[in-house]
Amino acid sequence: MEDRIVQFIAGLRAAGVRVSLAESQDAIQATSHIGITDRAMFKSALSATLIKEKKDVPIFEKLFPLYFNMGTPPLIPVGGQLTPEQQALLRAAMRALIGELSDLVQRLMAGKQLSREEMERLAKMLGADRSRRPEDIPRLTRQMLQKMGMGDLMEQIETLLQQLAEMGMTREALDQIRQELEANAQNLERQVNQFLGQSLADRLTEQPPQKGDPDLMDRHFGSLSESEIKELRREVARLAARLRSRIALRQKKGDGKIFDAKTTMRENIRHGGVPFEMHWKKKRLKPKFALICDMSESMRDVIEFMLRLMYELHDQVSRARSFGFYDHLEDVTDEFSSNRPDEAIAYVKRRFPYRPYGTDLGFCLADFFHTYMDSIDHRTTIIFLGDGRNNYNDPRLDLVQDLTRRARKVVWFNPESNYEWGSGDSDMLKYQPLVSAVHQVSNLRQLAEAVDKLFS
Amino acid sequence: MFKSTTEVIDCLGEQDYIATNEIGTVLFLAERLNKPVLAEGPAGVGKTELAKAWSAASGRELIRLQCYEGLDETKALYEWEYAKQMLYTQLLRDKLQTLLVDSQSLAQAADRLAAEEDVFFSQRFLLARPLLKAITSEKPVTLLIDEIDRTDAEFEAFLLEVLSDFQVSVPEIGTIKAKTQPLVLLTSNNTRELSEALKRRCVYLFIDYPTLEAELKIVRLKVPNLAPELAKQAVDLVQKLRRLDLKKNPSVSETIDWAKALVLLNAKTLDKETLENTLTILLKHEADVQRARTSMQREEQQQRRRPPLDLDDGSFNGNIKPIKRI
Repeated sequence: MEDRIVQFIAGLRAAGVRVSLAESQDAIQATSHIGITDRAMFKSALSATLIKEKKDVPIFEKLFPLYFNMGTPPLIPVGGQLTPEQQALLRAAMRALIGELSDLVQRLMAGKQLSREEMERLAKMLGADRSRRPEDIPRLTRQMLQKMGMGDLMEQIETLLQQLAEMGMTREALDQIRQELEANAQNLERQVNQFLGQSLADRLTEQPPQKGDPDLMDRHFGSLSESEIKELRREVARLAARLRSRIALRQKKGDGKIFDAKTTMRENIRHGGVPFEMHWKKKRLKPKFALICDMSESMRDVIEFMLRLMYELHDQVSRARSFGFYDHLEDVTDEFSSNRPDEAIAYVKRRFPYRPYGTDLGFCLADFFHTYMDSIDHRTTIIFLGDGRNNYNDPRLDLVQDLTRRARKVVWFNPESNYEWGSGDSDMLKYQPLVSAVHQVSNLRQLAEAVDKLFS
Repeated sequence: MFKSTTEVIDCLGEQDYIATNEIGTVLFLAERLNKPVLAEGPAGVGKTELAKAWSAASGRELIRLQCYEGLDETKALYEWEYAKQMLYTQLLRDKLQTLLVDSQSLAQAADRLAAEEDVFFSQRFLLARPLLKAITSEKPVTLLIDEIDRTDAEFEAFLLEVLSDFQVSVPEIGTIKAKTQPLVLLTSNNTRELSEALKRRCVYLFIDYPTLEAELKIVRLKVPNLAPELAKQAVDLVQKLRRLDLKKNPSVSETIDWAKALVLLNAKTLDKETLENTLTILLKHEADVQRARTSMQREEQQQRRRPPLDLDDGSFNGNIKPIKRI
């Protein structure tokens, strides 16, 4: 059993699960405590000691049956329970149909197992010996059985039974034969399934693990598949949750340099007024955000994530206002605070329909200055989310300069890499010296770092 | 020590905790292998409750360490009781004076004082925090380290040291070793990735929301006054809500609160009015409440399109009003 567990661990490793030596020792010890009689318990013992992440559970579930399968019952020759006359009749019928019955039926009748070589030959014909994915097994099993002639098995059985009936076999005997044949067919299917599973397990054990996809953290937002996008959304939510505790901590810490006489006296009454414990006034940092997001066509790949980030920030920081701009600027704060994430993002996207060459940041800035300047004070951090591509319109650098004076900080998140800044209609290089920082944000890792810096 | 997995499950059952086979196996193994248990899962599925039940079932005292960001050794392990030390020096001033009175030089006085240092850095002035308490306890204890994912990575590394050999070294005193090895349960809501090293040392347990049957059993156990039919309806609704993709799913503890509320309100059936009044016990976000309402309305409309239920089929008893439709 120990060997099998070690092979199983190798299989897990090959499938990309990290299992350390200590953990494999634990697994073997655990199974020695639990025993192998109860399969469910045995399974949870292995799972508890080997699998330490939820995302590895499906792999475990898939591989476990491949390695720890209960033995399948063997095929049994048909007609063992019939009377000698009936058995003679059966043999006669088989002889009569000798050209018509397929090998498969004859094999099932005789209860002859498939040898390992035969299985291997069949598997090779179907290319099953190259498969590395456990989810292929049901399909390969089906194909292998088809190859052996499972397709017209039912008709063949009918022909045989017909012949037997004509030769005068009783009804009960016919039913008996049919049942035994079908049981044999089922067991054969299980054997094939198990064979495929085992050979796949062996292959996984032998071959070194393939190199997986580059980490999701480092992939460009625009190059993700549907499922990866889903996963990334969860990551963004987790990032935001982490931020929350971090913000709370920073707010609490402040930099206490001023002596707090009131608290000190109050706290030291219990020491008879002798000031043992000093207290310092805490500076409370209450972050305020104004998020200004570019909704233009050039941002299409990344807009989803930018908006999601905005949504999450709204959730974390009570005093955040959000704006979207394209050819004009709009306040979208309400959308974010009163809707669920997917709806909110869809609403906001709909508010800014496609306008070819419509982006005009300068005009939008003027708009912002005119209408929403009251939301900016010395505590506000302004975050621009955009590529700074302005269609050769006036960048209105003077307004950005004014903003930097009024706000605590102006930060720019740009999805383009920095050698693209300033190329074509990008005004990024003009804005860069005016704002406090420009972060390149094209994947999750950069996003995490940039957001983290906001609170420091 | 428990003899088998089933014994673990039975003992937890006696503490009103309904454990799955998996939970039983993991707890059994943790005790046998002397390893901490790392329980992960969404908030409110009973991870903390499990620790309480486990400690009660094994007859151990529960010591709890609630984690938060910024938690450090002085809060988790030990702290010198500075105020008490100061107070003692003040009160013992006379005694110190007599000790030092006939010393010839400053160096001699300092030496004499140094010889008495042990008095001020002894267990007497050591303020034991949960970890040290768990280690020094005479009786066997269960240590619950709650929401470990909220602490920073440094604290996790420090914890690793404590958990691997259950000993702590205090520079002034020396190494303190655990007299009896505590059972340890760490919980995590998975808001951040825990370090590989910590995971490697633990037996892992993922606790998910219970199935309909299991949750019904829990509600029956915790709120026995609720009519069985109503309990079933209530749990059914909660399970449906969890499938809605809400901002915050209703937890098991909220289901229990809700069931209690239904008993207090003397509700006979889950009609629209009762739901309106009590839905906020389950859902804590306005947007979620709205979403739940619309989805329930939609369902009701669909039901209306179907042929009406036969109200005399015996599944309803006399005092139930048919659901009011507005």
